[in-house]
This record gives sequence, structure tokens and C-alpha cells, in this order.
Amino acid sequence: MRGIETEALILRSVDFGESDRILHLLTPGSGRLTTIAKGARRSVRRFGGTLDLFNHLCVQVDFGRKTGMARLDQARLIGAFEPLRIDPGRFALGCYLLELFDRLAPEGGNRADMRRLFDFLLDALKAIAVWEPSLRLRTLLELRALDALGLRPELRNCVRCGESAGRTAEVDFHVADGGAVCGACAPRMEGLLRVHLGTLRALEQGLRLDFSRLDRLGIGGQSLDEAQQLISRFQRFHVGVELRSERFLDRILQQPRAPEL
Amino acid sequence: MRSSPPIDRLVASFKRLPGIGEKSATRLAFFVLGMPDATVQELANAISRLKHEIVLCEECFDLTHETPCEICRDEKRDSGKICVVEEPADLASIERSGSFDGRYFVLGGALSPIDGVGPDEIRVAQLEERVRRGDVHEVILATNPNAEGDATAHYISRCLRPCKVRLSRIAYGMPLGGDFEYADHVTVGRSLENRRELE
Ligand SMILES: [Zn+2]
Ligand SMILES: [Zn+2]
Repeated sequence: MRGIETEALILRSVDFGESDRILHLLTPGSGRLTTIAKGARRSVRRFGGTLDLFNHLCVQVDFGRKTGMARLDQARLIGAFEPLRIDPGRFALGCYLLELFDRLAPEGGNRADMRRLFDFLLDALKAIAVWEPSLRLRTLLELRALDALGLRPELRNCVRCGESAGRTAEVDFHVADGGAVCGACAPRMEGLLRVHLGTLRALEQGLRLDFSRLDRLGIGGQSLDEAQQLISRFQRFHVGVELRSERFLDRILQQPRAPEL
Repeated sequence: MRSSPPIDRLVASFKRLPGIGEKSATRLAFFVLGMPDATVQELANAISRLKHEIVLCEECFDLTHETPCEICRDEKRDSGKICVVEEPADLASIERSGSFDGRYFVLGGALSPIDGVGPDEIRVAQLEERVRRGDVHEVILATNPNAEGDATAHYISRCLRPCKVRLSRIAYGMPLGGDFEYADHVTVGRSLENRRELE
């Protein structure tokens, strides 16, 4: 394999040397791919301003040399997500997802899995462009992203014994074990997070919901707070590294939106 | 090639400079070795004085040898217009174009959450303070025309909205995705002229 032409989403862009740019791409065929775009900062003729965060591209990548990074030879813009560039909340949410994928998406693997990951991220960016950036959207997208990356919390059955965990109005959740715990197992466990059954059910619904119908999700008020807590703790534990973009996202989504003029 | 600790030390130092590899560093080191003592002394002095004598302008945060800098002291310039840029090199690029007669503000970067750069890591609060304090009526956001630069411009415009100043963004005569500092002065001039107001 010398060169390929593929769709790609830009996950990260880092200036390199005096005029080059290193780009982390997500591709539907090979997962995460690190490439170098020679001269990308100095000459815009070759790439014509396509190499920007969130951009959906068709790229030509050359694997020529056995060692070193693959070279990005050409890029054509398929779609850009303008709202993510001009709305700080959407930008923050988009960056957070990109970082999650940049850290966790595998470099190659089963083709169907790679395709699914790519499609997920593309749909998620579209959703961010359309829906109001809110704590609700964040929680939902975070859950879905973790699920897509193979980190899905167990919301229905006890992670210890496999029995149904939802027999009471309040259910315990064990972050490290990654799921709900039934009333029989709970007394023997420590570090449990207690949530309402309705919260777990809402999250379950959130896992199945089509992105075009995110507004249908019945979650708000106390159960949103609970869900947010749960997902955020789950993410921190299972991702294992602190996501740098989280601080900005926290800050932006807490800020009341300025009235539209 | 035969070498010795003093040469190795200088080669290692040169290699930290952008665009300098082992070969160029070695060539430079031997060149320095062949220079007259006085010239070497001059070079060494210039390098070590640089860090001591260059400071940040208290008004615009550009690099300068005295603060406020020349531009901030220039009475002929319109102090009601502030052009906000990411880096000193961007300011220099706009100055070269000769198409702006107001004052500047250097943010020190753009929002880049993935790199841990939020509003506190660039000078958003200082810019707000400057706009509130002065007789500013227009703020031109000339951050780089890429995703981070766009997001930064819109974030700042949201912060400054209560200040009731005219807010505008440079037009995309600027090549999308390009770095401001590499743009030619005609392009820079045109993108400033064609700036459009932010809602
Ligand atoms: Zn159990
Ligand atoms: Zn100044």
C-alpha cells in the first residue's frame, strides 16, 4: 500500500517546524491516522484552507517511506461545520469530542468498526451544528461517544450478578465496574453512586435515539444532573487521562447564553 | 568529524533554533569559530541582551524595548480603533501592509481547548479591561482565519457585546486556513478593508 484516497475528519492540527502541519485524521478505513502536510502553513495553494479542525475531507495519503509519518498529499473539502467555528458552546463541544476520539480511536482495526466510528463522529458533529449546545446535549453525546469507542456503561443489569438492577426507584451505580448494581450486591460494595431509575432509563433511551431526534429525549432537571455526574465520572475513570478540553467545555456550558441581538 | 565539548555545546544550541538541523548547526559553529573575536563578542552580547531588554508593552502586549511601545504612544494613530491579533508576528504583518492606522492588542494565542488553552491562557480579560477603560469605538478581530481563530473572535465578540463597541471580523480575502504572518501585504490590507460587522 503506497497511497490511498479516503474520506477523513480532522481531529487535531499541530504546527510542525517552520511551515509544516501535523494532522491527526479519522478515516473510515484505517481509524486514526497521523499525517504530515508539508508546507501547509506557508502555501495555501496546495491545500486551499481545507486543513482545519472539524473539516470533512477527501484526502490523498502517501505511505511511501516505510519509516516516519504518512504524507498528506492532497485534500478536498467535502463539508465544513461553520456553526462550530462561530458559536463558542458548539466549538467547545466539538473540540471535546475530537479530543476524545484523538485519544481513544484505534489506529486501524476491523473495517466495519472503523466505518462505524467514522460515521458516528460525522453524525455527532452534524448534531452539534444543529442542536443548541447545552448540558443535555453534552451528556448525551458523551455517552454515545463512549459507547462508540467501546466504553458503554451497563445501565440495566447488575455488573456483579447479572440480575436486573432496576427493581427499586433508586439504583446504585459502580463507576469502576462500569454499571448498575442490584439491591442484593450493593451492600457488599463501596464507592457507589446512587441515581434514580428514571435517570438510567433516560440514558438507555439516549443510547438508542437517532441523532435527528435528540430533542425527544426526556431528560432534565434532577435526572440531567444525575446523568451528567454519572457519565462524567464514568468517562474520567475509564478514559484514564484527563481531557484537556473539558475545562473549557465546563466553563462555556455553565455560562448563560447572551441574549441574541 | 572530529569534535570537542565547546563545539558540541554550540552545535546543540544552534539545533534548538527553527529549521536548523545537525548539518547546518555544525556549519554555523565552525563559521563562528572563524570569526574575529570582536564580532563573536557582539553576537553573544546581542543574544544575551535580547531577553533582558525586550519587554511586553503594557497597553498592547506587543514585544517592545520600551513600554508603552511606539505605536501606543503615537498620537497620530486612532486610539478608538483596536485591531486584535494572536501574535506579535501578526501585528508586524499588518503594520507592513500599512493599511491600519489604529492601535493593536496582542492576545498571545487563540482558544485551543485541545491544547488546554482557554480564555485565561490568552489575554481576553485584559482586552475587556482595555476596551472598558479607553475611548474605544471599534474592535477589529484579526485572529487567524482558521477554526480556532474564528472561535476566538466570536468568543471575544460575545464578551465585548455589553461594551457597545462596533465589532468586526477581518474578511476572507485572507486565505482560509493560512497563517496571518505568511500572508502578503496586499491580502492583509484587503482583508482589513473588507472587514464585516459581527452581529
Ligand atoms: Zn447483583
Ligand atoms: Zn503597545
